[in-house]
Amino acid sequence: MFSIRDSMRQMGYLFVDHRASPGLTPEQARMNGYDPRLTAEGQLYEADTMTCAHCKAVVVKNLARTRERAHCRPCNHYICDACAYEAAQPDYIHKPHIAKVIEALEQSPIDVVPPLTLGSSK
Amino acid sequence: MTKRIFSVPTLTPTQQADGVLSAGTYAAIKGGSTTMQVTILEVYQTGQAAASAYNATCLAFASTLETTPTALALPNTDGYMNPNAAALGTGTTVFVAAGTAPTRSPATTLPRMRLGFNAFGGVVRWVAAPSEEWVQYGNATNGGETLFSSENYGTAGAQAVNFIYEIL
Repeated sequence: MFSIRDSMRQMGYLFVDHRASPGLTPEQARMNGYDPRLTAEGQLYEADTMTCAHCKAVVVKNLARTRERAHCRPCNHYICDACAYEAAQPDYIHKPHIAKVIEALEQSPIDVVPPLTLGSSK
Repeated sequence: MTKRIFSVPTLTPTQQADGVLSAGTYAAIKGGSTTMQVTILEVYQTGQAAASAYNATCLAFASTLETTPTALALPNTDGYMNPNAAALGTGTTVFVAAGTAPTRSPATTLPRMRLGFNAFGGVVRWVAAPSEEWVQYGNATNGGETLFSSENYGTAGAQAVNFIYEIL
């Protein structure tokens, strides 16, 4: 069984290499969510990324953050601040990204479902 | 359900505001049907600029689709990573040009992944963890077509970009 710690541990990987480049200005770095000190000239920046289970937005993990990160218990997965706000509303109905996909699938007309048989080289 | 690589060996993603993208400044992956899910597993960018150039590149969804996407031509490529893969009955539509270019959505409620870098010697690689991928679904607006382009900051230079993605 996964714990909240486990779900936070499963992260993507971002590699920004300016070791042979003038790099970014601090403003440009912040715009991308990078650490400005590690994206300047001659720097290498590596970071964890997390993806929101509800909207699939990808965020760079801010190591200086002290506020708690939102966690969706039904999904047992990280959710971004915007989705956390929505989830905190009293009339919120839980709908993770996969549920939206399934809902869209169920609403699709039968004739647009792609063929299940794979192409063959024969 | 086999991974594919969409490779654009050289592209200048000229900086521009959200809206109809300029010709030759973007790369796009569109679902092949209304029920196709495409997961982007990796984005790899390498700079080719001859002078300092901030490429404010990002992944975003299209809010208006293109008209008549132009079939991919060399040096751009899109194919299975595993040559033993059986071709799917329906594939994606990947393109870098179209009769009328797609519109990058300005919606604040849609995800956008910024992967900006200095194209003068810079390299950016983003790899998603399992279940952390960038996902698009269907082939319609606001979620069915992913656009790679630059936001309206800096002055972009030439670069290459590779996408590893999977059709589900």
